[in-house]
Amino acid sequence: MKIMLNGQEREAREGETILEMCRREGVPIPTFCYHQAFGGQGACRMCMVELREEGQEQMRLVAACTYPIKSSVEIITESERIQRLRRTIVMLLARRAPDNPLMEALARTYSSPRLTAIEVEPPNCILCGLCIHACEEMGRTAIWSMFRGIDKRIGTPYDEASEDCIGCAACARICPTQAINLEEEGSTRRIWNKTFDLVACQRCGKHYATREELEYLWERSEYGQEQLCESCRKKTLAINMKSFQQ
Amino acid sequence: MQASINVNSNDRQTVLVCCGTGCTANGGREVFKTFETLLKDHAEIELLPVIKATGCNGWCEKGPLVRLLPRDITYCSVAPEDVSEIIDKTLIEGILIKRLLYRDPVSKEYLSSHHQTDFYRKQHKIALRNIGEIDPGQIDDYIEREGYQALKKALQEMSGQDIINIVQAAGLRGRGGGGFPTGRKWQACKNASGEEKFIICNGDEGDPGAFMDRSILEGDPHTIIEGMILGAYAVGASRGYVYVRDEYDLAVQNLGQAIGNARQRGYLGNSILGSDLAFDIEIVRGGGAFVCGEETALIASIEGRTGEPHDKYVFPTEKGLWGMPTVINNVETWANVPVIVLHGAEPFARIGTENSKGTKVFSLVGKVVNTGLVEVPMGTTLREVIYEIGGGLLKKRSFKAVQTGGPSGGCIPASLLDLPIDFDSLIEAGSMMGSGGLIVMDDHTCMVEVARYYTNFLAGESCGKCTPCREGLRAQLEILNRICDGEGTIEDLDLLEDISVTMQGASLCALGRTAPNPVLSTLRYFREEYLAHIEERRCPAGVCRALTTFYIDPVKCTGCQVCKKHCSVNAIQGERKEVHVIDESICIRCGECYRQCAFDAVQLRQEELR
Ligand SMILES: Cc1cc2nc3c(=O)[nH]c(=O)nc-3n(C[C@H](O)[C@H](O)[C@H](O)COP(=O)(O)O)c2cc1C
Ligand code: SF4
Ligand code: FES
Repeated sequence: MKIMLNGQEREAREGETILEMCRREGVPIPTFCYHQAFGGQGACRMCMVELREEGQEQMRLVAACTYPIKSSVEIITESERIQRLRRTIVMLLARRAPDNPLMEALARTYSSPRLTAIEVEPPNCILCGLCIHACEEMGRTAIWSMFRGIDKRIGTPYDEASEDCIGCAACARICPTQAINLEEEGSTRRIWNKTFDLVACQRCGKHYATREELEYLWERSEYGQEQLCESCRKKTLAINMKSFQQ
Repeated sequence: MQASINVNSNDRQTVLVCCGTGCTANGGREVFKTFETLLKDHAEIELLPVIKATGCNGWCEKGPLVRLLPRDITYCSVAPEDVSEIIDKTLIEGILIKRLLYRDPVSKEYLSSHHQTDFYRKQHKIALRNIGEIDPGQIDDYIEREGYQALKKALQEMSGQDIINIVQAAGLRGRGGGGFPTGRKWQACKNASGEEKFIICNGDEGDPGAFMDRSILEGDPHTIIEGMILGAYAVGASRGYVYVRDEYDLAVQNLGQAIGNARQRGYLGNSILGSDLAFDIEIVRGGGAFVCGEETALIASIEGRTGEPHDKYVFPTEKGLWGMPTVINNVETWANVPVIVLHGAEPFARIGTENSKGTKVFSLVGKVVNTGLVEVPMGTTLREVIYEIGGGLLKKRSFKAVQTGGPSGGCIPASLLDLPIDFDSLIEAGSMMGSGGLIVMDDHTCMVEVARYYTNFLAGESCGKCTPCREGLRAQLEILNRICDGEGTIEDLDLLEDISVTMQGASLCALGRTAPNPVLSTLRYFREEYLAHIEERRCPAGVCRALTTFYIDPVKCTGCQVCKKHCSVNAIQGERKEVHVIDESICIRCGECYRQCAFDAVQLRQEELR
């Protein structure tokens, strides 16, 4: 399907979102709450672009991550209007994570004025919601969003150690502002008010995963119960491949 | 099309006791029960009067109301003790009891029926046509007033497309806030393909102070049911859901009973009135948050997901409940449908303005003499509603603004009192129709504080999912707090405007997109009041505590003691009939004395405070 992207004719696949199309075409659109693995949430609103559908007179603003292309639309990804929105959105979010390098860099890019910092829980959280999706993706619901409006925040139920948490730290790894506190010391890991024992890699001895996470993965995997860290697993895989090729 | 007054064509006397929420709170049920008990002992009356408990007449302030037919007599503020007198004097002897009649404040005349009052005379009832006239528990009461006739007509002589055409030609627009053309919505759903289609009635009514949908659900549930069946027939839907705000117990009860009765009579079920139309309705109780009234949040909530909105680039008419084509309309919208289908598009389209047809129900509250539910033709001016129906301002104060459209509506100033109320003029004036709230404000109201109040409400009721709405409201609230505390700056006004633009343009749902209205409309019409707070550190209305002190003008003070009685911290001294004084060291500047004084003796110290 032919569409107009920033004044140039491009090909779009029916039903794909504007963001997916732009990523494919190499047109950058800033995002906080989008991740390939989960698709668009439409929460951060950083990805707003201007759009005109057939028969419409004026351009309107839509979120690129949730708008599915279904007809020959015209899209503009950069304009003064969009620039102004992004500047304000960054201004409003940066105060939640005032010293965070990513937010500082964005504030410079968009020349966003600095507002007084606010205290949020967990500190530096910009409420993109990716951690909740990451947890869900693991098949767990250890964290969720609580309350609504300006009191909305992420946490474990009642802020207590969650039985559902396996300490996999998928949430911490996906967080764009490193807001989730992950402490590792020797053979223990602490996350979301819960302490886990870390299992050592059978090859290199590095403490690499929690027992709970491994047991959970073993349960649902058809492969053996190997205890190898990421890099050793890759190495063994490579060795196996070689012997297989010989 | 106006509701006729005498329902019961036979001459049997009927006693209609209002048991709407307002009257019930004032003892309406007890009045009803007393009638039941006492009338039993009057075997001598040849044809015992029928007693009916009705829904809300919209005049709660004068309740409990008792109406007597066929003479069309209305008694106000009736207590159980008055019942035996009403029976002996009026029902048996035919004598009016003056004490219980409404007395017109201007002409000082006693009016025998509420229909003669200014409050009712200007109204035009379509959506509320049956409320107060029927017992919502009696399906026959509804049937007697043309009920289910539209359905019979539709099944006998109309196709689904015919119904859509009529609704479209009538110019009906959604009464839930957005004003989307109903016929166009139905057509989109009819054209969409899906294994199943759904109909939803939105009865979430989260606006604080609004009770029009509640009144209809409680007082005339069958009109909703009939409207929904007609909608289902039009678009080809098989199931309907009525989403009722969680607090509305009576609405759930009355609607539940009505659905049961409609099934028994064959209006709902597998083969409706012997045709091959199959449709049934289920009640879903609301999630309890304002934002759950937003249609995508409402659908998520019915499906058991978190009640948060989603982007609507694909409309619910294409992918709605469970991913199927869905029509969602407001309670009041549905209540208009049977009338339009039965009487045709033309009589409906004759009422109203060019682009807003029919009537709209408003809940008129605030500083007006008559408060309550009023239904008026679209295009009626604000002045007519506030001064003619509402009877003007309380305590003869002067009008300052009227807030329309619910929490994310705007404030309209006196210079626009002649604005015709319709969807488009309100938006042009920086406000909106919303669900129909009209809050009248007098000159003792601080418009910065009003903006702060609504922003605070929205900051707590936004779902918090998207940045512009959540963080925008947070920042705006901080700024408004600052200004009310006398610590605002001129730059704060630019910041308010900049944030507003982002909220309007980038928020996910209409809550966030309209949430800057309180700020923008007050900035537009009352900017000088913001400036007084910022530049002169003065609250012209005497509301913001940090910027206000009060004193009593010894010349005007009559020593009536009203201020003294209302002061919660006993800061006012003075003997009866002597001049009173405020002790500023005790005064907490709540302003209650200022609002209560009938002689304007309590004054604001208007010089700069620092
Ligand atoms: C925050 C928010 C709250 C809403 N609350 C209600 C409500 O309580 N009742 C209602 O009918 N519509 C409400 N709406 C409007 C609905 O989303 C929807 O437009 C409406 O139910 C459609 O019906 P209509 O076309 O008959 O007006 C709300 C919208 C928003 C954004
Ligand atoms: S605009 Fe407000 S209510 Fe609507 S989705 Fe965004 S945060 Fe939620
Ligand atoms: S990336 Fe589209 S809203 Fe966050």
